[in-house]
Amino acid sequence: MESAVTVPGRAPGQRQDLGSGITATGLARSFGAVRAVENIDFHAAPGKVTALIGPNGSGKTTLLLMLASLLRPDAGSIRIQGIDPTADPRAVRAVLGWMPDTLGFWESLTSREILTTVAALYGIGKAQARVRAAELLEVVNLGELADTPARVLSRGQAQRLSLARALVNDPSVLLLDEPASGLDPGARVQLRTLVRQLADSGKTVVISSHVLVELDEIADAAVFLSRGKTVRSQSLAEAGAQSRGYTIASLDLEMLRVALAEANFEAAYRGNLENGGGSAKLKLTGEVQAGELLGRLAGAGVPVTAFAPTSGLLEETYLSLEDEMP
Amino acid sequence: MSISTSPRVRSAAPALGYLAGIRTVFGLEIRQRIRNRGWYIMLGIWFVVVAAVVGLAALSVGEDGFGAGQVMFELVIAFVLFFGMLIAPALSANSITGDRANGTLAILQNTLLTPGQLLWGKWLASWVASLGFLVVTIPLIGWAMTYGDVYLPAAPVLLAMLAVELGIVCAIGVGVSALANRTLFAVMVTYLLVALLGLGTLISYGLSMQLVKTDVNVSNQVWPETYMNGDFPGDWDENNYTCEDRTYVQETFATERITWLLAANPFVVVADAAPRSPAPEDSSMFAEAGPMGAISEGVRYSQAGPEFQIPCLNGVKNTALPPTPAPLWPLGLGIQVLLAGGIVAAGRNRLRTPAGKLAAGTRIA
Repeated sequence: MESAVTVPGRAPGQRQDLGSGITATGLARSFGAVRAVENIDFHAAPGKVTALIGPNGSGKTTLLLMLASLLRPDAGSIRIQGIDPTADPRAVRAVLGWMPDTLGFWESLTSREILTTVAALYGIGKAQARVRAAELLEVVNLGELADTPARVLSRGQAQRLSLARALVNDPSVLLLDEPASGLDPGARVQLRTLVRQLADSGKTVVISSHVLVELDEIADAAVFLSRGKTVRSQSLAEAGAQSRGYTIASLDLEMLRVALAEANFEAAYRGNLENGGGSAKLKLTGEVQAGELLGRLAGAGVPVTAFAPTSGLLEETYLSLEDEMP
Repeated sequence: MSISTSPRVRSAAPALGYLAGIRTVFGLEIRQRIRNRGWYIMLGIWFVVVAAVVGLAALSVGEDGFGAGQVMFELVIAFVLFFGMLIAPALSANSITGDRANGTLAILQNTLLTPGQLLWGKWLASWVASLGFLVVTIPLIGWAMTYGDVYLPAAPVLLAMLAVELGIVCAIGVGVSALANRTLFAVMVTYLLVALLGLGTLISYGLSMQLVKTDVNVSNQVWPETYMNGDFPGDWDENNYTCEDRTYVQETFATERITWLLAANPFVVVADAAPRSPAPEDSSMFAEAGPMGAISEGVRYSQAGPEFQIPCLNGVKNTALPPTPAPLWPLGLGIQVLLAGGIVAAGRNRLRTPAGKLAAGTRIA
């Protein structure tokens, strides 16, 4: 995937026609008595990676199915690049790439055949489909397994093939449902690089994932869902400005305690058993304050060994939302 | 490496030709089937079973040489039809439920493919797969042909109608498969529908007999004295009789009124569509017929009704030959096409996306 940096046929920095991305308002959908989605507003901008975050059963997959033109919302409206998927699903599908959370493959077909078949279903000619399949197999590092039946692929490999499949029609809108599950750490880094590149080339990318730390690094914005409702939409910049918990570790807990008390910070302390060291947990209002505090501690000669947010940006929001929930 | 196609492709309007889509689905299905080893094992077992039956028929019928070919040929047809009814539902009814279970259906639906293209492709693939069972019996048909007595005008008709019947069963299977959520359920429902055609028609015919019970006045036939001798030398003329004056009431069934119930039976459709071999010139010989010929004969007898079945009706000698009845198979085929078409149309509705109503417990992907 590292090799995928350059995009031939397009000058570096040149972007696709951006379009309007995804806009959904007031979405609702129930399955019988279960109200999977009650009221979701969602926007994903082109050229950005938008993370979709929420606990299990919060309606993430249902939302993605509606965005992917497979499920009809009971209420609300969706526009994908300005097109209504309920009115013209085929036009939406032409610009859309969808990677489902359940992996499904025709097991007796090879990876290459799967990609060329899907390409044919997008109306791509045979010769071009072959070129496209070869390209994508390289992009997702499946070149060596291109001609083995899909049934022998490991979960991570199948996941990468699924991503390649979603990219066959060169979509301008990409919906990825849990793309990182089952990937080894190396492949996760590659996935991150690839997703970043896709967004930078002008595509609208939506990612749902449980691994929040991972999303911190690639997402530009996040939409939080809970019980079928949008509970918060924020950009990562906004998340960085919010107050969050920090953990400070020091070789000398007593010095740290004194320094923090002087600066009027309330903190929870925990000492190590084997030496005088320990750590403090406290809330800071933002990155500016964190920088100032670190400078102050260093200036006071406190032997600080670690100074970091207790949890990731998105995790922080996620946890604060959980606190707010009844 | 590129992660996007050339800009030229992007500007082109997305289009998937109707036939191209069908062809792609067909290719996808067929490729999966021919890579399945179980399929070849089934074909092998199939060939052995049919060969054994046909061989036994050749042994028992072929003593005097004449007529064996026709019987063997019709046996092959009857067997392929009978086992086709058993195999075709299994081949077709998993085609869409299987994709649902694997999560591949949503992937197909998320492309430019329409539900109609999906169903056409799946149906063609399962039909071709079931025709494979007809193809492997070609050597046995060839064997029957070597006897030289197969009525040739009927042979292509029988084969074609057989293929059509397999196609109808496959269409029912694919349609049910689009409607059902689970493969097992789809296969069972398809079997029940096929049984409705194959056995249900017979049962309803049998039960309806009571409704068309009528009383007729009949009398006994009187044959010439010479016929009564055990060693009558001359030609037996079955019309050489007189009727007694004394009549009595006999219960009979006006079968001509209920024969249409048999129309949708696959065996009746195939047998009735085939032209009949002309009666042999030598009246002492009668045309050798296999199972299909017998079915055709039986249906025509039933279509004729008691008016032509009873030799002495109301004390009058009745030797009238029944008029050639109207062919029954267009009605039967029509009923079958309506049934299969209705199920496939319902299935097509079910495959439409974005999906509105979903059955309880369904996951789209």
